[in-house]
Order: sequence, then C-alpha cells, then structure tokens
Amino acid sequence: MLVIKDLTKTYCSGVQALRGVSLDLPAGVFGLLGPNGSGKTTLMKIVATLLEPDAGTVEMNGADLMTRKDHTRRMLGYLPQDFGLYPTLTAWQMLDYLAKLKGVTNRKERHTLIDVLLDRVNLSAERTQRLGGFSGGMRQRLGIAQALIGEPQLIIVDEPTAGLDPEERLRFHNLLSESASENTVVILSTHIVSDVANLCSHMAIIRKGKIISTGTPRQAVDQLKGSVWEGAVSHEQLAAFKSEFNVISVRTFDGQARVRVISKGYRPSEELTEATPVLEDYYFDLVNRQDQ
Amino acid sequence: MKNPFHTPFAAVFSNEILLNAKRVAPYVLMVLFVGNAVLWWGWGPAVANGWATNSDFYIQRNHGGFSFVLGLPIFTAILMGDIVVRDFRLGVDPLIFSKPVSRASYLLGKFLGSFFVLVCCYSVFTITLFLLQWVPFSGMVVLPVRVVPYFKHFFIIVVISHLILAAIYFAAGTLTRNAKVVYELAACYYPVYITLLLLVLMKLPRIFRILFDPMGAGKGGPVITTNPWGQSADVLNKFVVSYSLDQQVNRASQIVLSSLLLLLVYSRFRIDPMEQKSEPFTKLTLSDAPEKIAYTAPSYGSFDLPIEAAPSRERITLPKVTSTKGPATTRFQIISAMGVEFRLLRAERGLIVLVSLVMVLSFLSVPFSPIATVVSYSVTSATNTANMLLLLLSCVIVFYTGEIMHRDRELKIEPVVWSTPAPNSVLLLSKWLAMTLLSLALAWVGGLTTIVTQVIRGYTPVDVSAYLIINGVVVVPAVVFLTSFVVVLDVLLRNKYLVYVVAVGAGAGLIYLYNMGYKHWSYNPLLYQLWNYHNLTNTTMLAYRLYCFALAAACLALAHLLFERRS
Repeated sequence: MLVIKDLTKTYCSGVQALRGVSLDLPAGVFGLLGPNGSGKTTLMKIVATLLEPDAGTVEMNGADLMTRKDHTRRMLGYLPQDFGLYPTLTAWQMLDYLAKLKGVTNRKERHTLIDVLLDRVNLSAERTQRLGGFSGGMRQRLGIAQALIGEPQLIIVDEPTAGLDPEERLRFHNLLSESASENTVVILSTHIVSDVANLCSHMAIIRKGKIISTGTPRQAVDQLKGSVWEGAVSHEQLAAFKSEFNVISVRTFDGQARVRVISKGYRPSEELTEATPVLEDYYFDLVNRQDQ
Repeated sequence: MKNPFHTPFAAVFSNEILLNAKRVAPYVLMVLFVGNAVLWWGWGPAVANGWATNSDFYIQRNHGGFSFVLGLPIFTAILMGDIVVRDFRLGVDPLIFSKPVSRASYLLGKFLGSFFVLVCCYSVFTITLFLLQWVPFSGMVVLPVRVVPYFKHFFIIVVISHLILAAIYFAAGTLTRNAKVVYELAACYYPVYITLLLLVLMKLPRIFRILFDPMGAGKGGPVITTNPWGQSADVLNKFVVSYSLDQQVNRASQIVLSSLLLLLVYSRFRIDPMEQKSEPFTKLTLSDAPEKIAYTAPSYGSFDLPIEAAPSRERITLPKVTSTKGPATTRFQIISAMGVEFRLLRAERGLIVLVSLVMVLSFLSVPFSPIATVVSYSVTSATNTANMLLLLLSCVIVFYTGEIMHRDRELKIEPVVWSTPAPNSVLLLSKWLAMTLLSLALAWVGGLTTIVTQVIRGYTPVDVSAYLIINGVVVVPAVVFLTSFVVVLDVLLRNKYLVYVVAVGAGAGLIYLYNMGYKHWSYNPLLYQLWNYHNLTNTTMLAYRLYCFALAAACLALAHLLFERRS
C-alpha cells in the first residue's frame, strides 16, 4: 500500500538523517525500530508532509504523497513524538477543533464521532476537564483519538509509548491494534523492541539513516532458533567470554553477569543453556554485526 | 571560603548571559542603537544649532532622549519580562529547582544576568557616541576628547531609570508567570507615565515628585537640567552638568525601590505550577484492566511473541463522517479556529488587565475640567481617546500577535495542526481576524468608556457620530494595517523577540521621522499628525484609508505566500 523509495534527507547542520531509505509497507501495523537518532522521526515527518526530503518519493496506492499534500493530509492520522495541547481547552473542545480542521463540518456527525472517540480512549469522564491537568497517559490517549478522526488510511505514531507506565502502555497497544484494518497502514516508530513484538505484523530496523533489515517479527525470531544461549558468568570471566563468543547482551543480576550469546549449531560453553530467541536478540545481533 | 565564581548565583547569572548571547534580539537592538547614535551625532540638533557634539550638556541631553523617547522602556520589557516564565514554559524548572540553588540565588542571578545584557545593549549607544568624537563631520563643533561625562550620564540617566523599569517588569512577569501582562505594562508605559507627570506628580508635594519619578523626566528630575533655548552655543558648550541633591535623591530612591521590588518577588515567588489543578483521585490514570489482548510483560529474554493472539483483537468501529472541502469549508474552519483563539484569549488574565487599562486611559482622555473646545467635547474626547488608543493598540498588536502566531510552536501543537488538511489561509487568517477583532473590541471599549465619562462629567450632548467617524476613519484602518504588518513580520522572521525589536524599533524610528517633519501619507499609514476632525470625511482622506487597506491586503498576501509548514 505505502511505498517509500530512496528517501534522503540532510539537515542544514550537515547531519545526514536519511540515506536512501526504501520500504514497502502492506496494510496493518508496521513497526519501524531503531535507536535514538537513527532517523525514525525524520522519516515520519516526511511521510506526514511536515518535512521536505532532499530526494525520493512516497506513494500510497499509486498516489504521490509528497506532491499532493492536501490529499495526503486528508487520509492522514498523525501522532507526533512530542506534541502539545492547549492547556485551557477541554478534551472535547480540542477534538472538536481538530475535527473541524480535518473538514468534518457536519455538526451532528462531528459530535457523535467525538463522543465515540472519547469513549474508546476511555476519556469520556474527563471530556470537560482542562487538558492542562491531564497525565501523560491521558494526553497520549487523546493524541491517538485525534489521529483517528476522519477515517485515516495512513496512521503514523511516533514513539507513542515512551514515558508511559505499563498499564497505559498496554492500553495504548490495544488502541493501536484496534485501529488497524485491511485498508489502513499504521506506522509505529519506536525504539522499544517489545512494542514491535507485541503489535506489528511487519517491521523494519533503521540505523544511522539506513534500513538494515525488513521482514516480519516471526521471520526475524525464526532465524535465531537454536542459536541463542544464556547463562551466568562471573565478572572476571566476562572479558574472556566476550572475546571468545558472539555476546549480544550482558545484564548484571544478583552480582553476576547474565549473558546471551549467539552460536549457530553448537553449545559454546558449559555455563550456557539454550534459550528461546526473542526479537531483542535479533535486534542486538544485527546491531552488533553492523558495528563490526 | 567559597569561590564566588563557583556559587549557584554565579552559575545562574552566567547562564542567563549565555542564553541571551544566543538570541538575535540583543544584537538587533545594538545595531539600532548604533544607528541612532550616528544619526544624533551627525544630523542631530547640535549640528543645526552650533552646539558642541561632545559637550557635557549635549551628552546629557542625548542620553535623556535615548532613555525616554526611543522606545527603550518597551525594549526593557522585551528583555526582562519573561526570563523566569521561559524556564517554566520550557519545562526547565524541575531541573533547576531540584538542585541546591536557593530562591534568592536563582531570582537574583536571573534578574542581574538579564539586566547586565540589557545594560550592555544600551551601552552601545554611549560607546558609539564616545568613539565618534574622533570622527568630526565638516562644520561640526567638537571639543577635546571627553570620557567621564559619557559614562556618568549613561549610568545616572539610562542605567538607573531602566533598573527600576526592569524590576517592575521582572516582578510582573515572575509573579504572574504571564509575559502578556508585562507587554501590556510596556504598551501603556507612555500614556501612564505622561499622565503621571502631567496630572499626578505635578500636583503633589516636592518629595513625591522626587521619590516616584522612575525616569527622572519630570520637573526637577535629572533628565532635564538645562533649557538650551535662548542660550548661546558658547555658553552651552562650556556648561558643566551637575546633579542637585533632589536629583541625586531621586536616583537613589529608584535603586531602593528596585531592591524593594526584588524583595517582594523573593517573598511571593513559588516554584509550584500555577495553572495545573490537581486531579481528583478517581481520575488519576486509573485506566481499565487489559481486556482485549493477551499481553506478557516485556522483561528481557523471557517473553513470548503474542503474534498468535493478535488476530482476535477487535477493531474500532467509528461512525462514518463526511469530510468536505471548498470555500464554504474554509470559511467554516476560519470561524472555528478564530473561536478557539478567542477561547484561549478569554482564559488569560492578561486580557482583564488590558481591558482595565483601556478603560482607565479612556477615562483620563476626557478633559477634567471644562475647556474651550475646537468643535465639541465629543470631538475633543474622541480625538484624545483615538490618539491614546492608537499608541496603546500599536504595542498591544505587536506583542499579542507575536504571542498568538508563535504559541502553537511553543506549545508543540504545530505538528498536530499542520498535519490536518486545513489550508494555510485558515491557520493565518484565523489568527489575524482574532487579533483584529480583539483590537477593535478594545477600541470600542475605549470609546464607550469615554462616552460614559463624558456623560458623568456633564459634557453633554454626546455626539456619537464624532466617535463613529474618528474610529471608523482613523482607528479601524490603522488596526487592520498594523495587524497585517505584524503578521507578515512574524511569518518572515519566525522569532517573536526579533519581531518585537524590529517592530518597536521601526515604530520609534518612524515617530522620530514624523516629528522631524517627514510625515508623508505614503509611509504614514496611521496618519500620525496628518488628520483632524474636519478633514476626516473628505475624499483625499478616504483615498488615504483605501491605500492603508491596500497595504494591509498586500501584507496578508505576502504572509500567505511566505507561510510554510516547516517542521
């Protein structure tokens, strides 16, 4: 549905944010995973028509989104990474304003839509409360509600769960997965691997402005079946362990270092036992290989 | 003993200087002041009257004019008004107040850091005049090089006058945490100070005149020590300015008053958020338990992918809505966006202060005692009100439009609003219309207050048509033009402080030009000194007003052309 071709973007400061990014996004929730500063937000802003790329195209069902900005904005629902709300307006007033800007001029339809949206994001009770008093989670839920106005075919959510508590995060996951359909592309940009693992049917990993991997989370994890080993080693052994094996992560726990190692086909050490691979293993392995 | 350069106060002070050094506004101010100094050196009254350009008298005269006339009280508000508000707006406050920095160190460091920058900006005027002693123009009288008078008069006239103003603006901004209140104070500075000098201080005993004249421009103040007219150039060139005891007490009292104001800020300042109301317990993120999907807590290395569970998720079914576009939708969106602008304005206490100020100044515009009038009391009162309102509204429009135009960026709402299909005209015209209507409403309040005052004082009959004609021909086109001009400046410069400096600087420069006699209608859209009640209805005047509207339309068109949704 959404095709991104050879996008490049260099900022005035000389920072090369995107270096020929190409992606083919089917309907459903698509996860864009990458560390901070990898170019995710730049890519999201370009797709959301808020930033001009230096080169490249973005097409949705054959229509160029870069040249037809008005058309793009009509089918777009965008939740920026860091967004604000008018602190003196109420939740209802804010949604009403944004619905009007989206062209929902019929009063009855608009009011029904806002009521349903507030209900779905569980803010009906706070509809008349000023936004200045909203918690982080409530603001994010209102953010997703505004992104759903006007039946968007393309929903972009940029780092939506950063800073949310586990309960709010789960609520947000539910909302996002409920928003996806066969006619909608949802792009979830995040640096939290479990967000992608929990939500996305397809994913890409971006690093230093380049796409380094695409596929499904299932395919990614399947590649590591039988290759991930986990165990505890002393801190004294750690350096030798790192030089000998492909250590993808180290976690200090109870005074010992718990390491996860990639080793295809054989058990690397007596201290390690086979572990079930998870998406984080794939991510760390990929990043380690890139660094080498 | 603790190194004074390593104290929290020193850290706040130097950081304030660093922050200001990275802003454009102080540099633009410096450029303006250099230009001003060169202008007064080469083309000021000294050259015309044969006065020495570096005589003690002329140095003092220049500094008095510089401190009072050229919009400096407004520039002081721009640099001093929101220094603490900014920390709260940017969310830096928890980072600062979680450190072992006392309220006194923080407030004093902020105030003195910004005031130091302000003094540096203003000193550019003095330094330029000082250096110009080595660049005499032909026909100019220049005495041997002098040093002390420049810095003495700068300190006594400029630094102390603006210390008390800075303390007032700082106190207002910090205690209300609302920059608009400061800008309103700055906007009404001239009418209030002139009224204070002419109507209040003149009638009070000498001691009050000494203590409560912040600028020292009143009778017996340090700004006016010599009347040059009727004295020979030779006498003036040899004249040595000395400050009397009264004048010294006036300056000392301003320093004491500034300290008292800072003490007040210290005692009233709170670090807790002002606007945010605490939420009732029942609403505090008590969201429902998970129902829709199977979820495993994402602890590292121990969770399974819940991919199988995903298809069972229920999809949101939202009611169908019709999205429309076209001129009718755009019109609808402009009105809606304007409604939001008014709702946001209404929620601010700045507006209450503004309306009160307009009412007080309009009340003062009506003569206090029956005087001989040219046409009628209504014409005199309406003319006074219009002149006063134009001055006030010019400043209000500059500051309020700046705040409105840049608010969405500061509140980080721009990406949300800009990603909607609303045309650029909606985003621009809604703000322009809100500002224009607000200014016209203020003019209406001013006019109404004047009429009521006129009736109360018994200056009847009230000639409503005089009010309508003066406001319709003078105030309305001026407001429309000014708002459009400031909108295009905001779009073009993209920095509200820069806009404030450029707009106030341009305004002060133009008023200076008009007072020098250059007041042609082509660059005088507010018709400053070009109108009287008799010529308001003739065709030439109507042509001028059409020209003013055309300029406004051109400004709006340019703003629309230059406006970009640039993230």
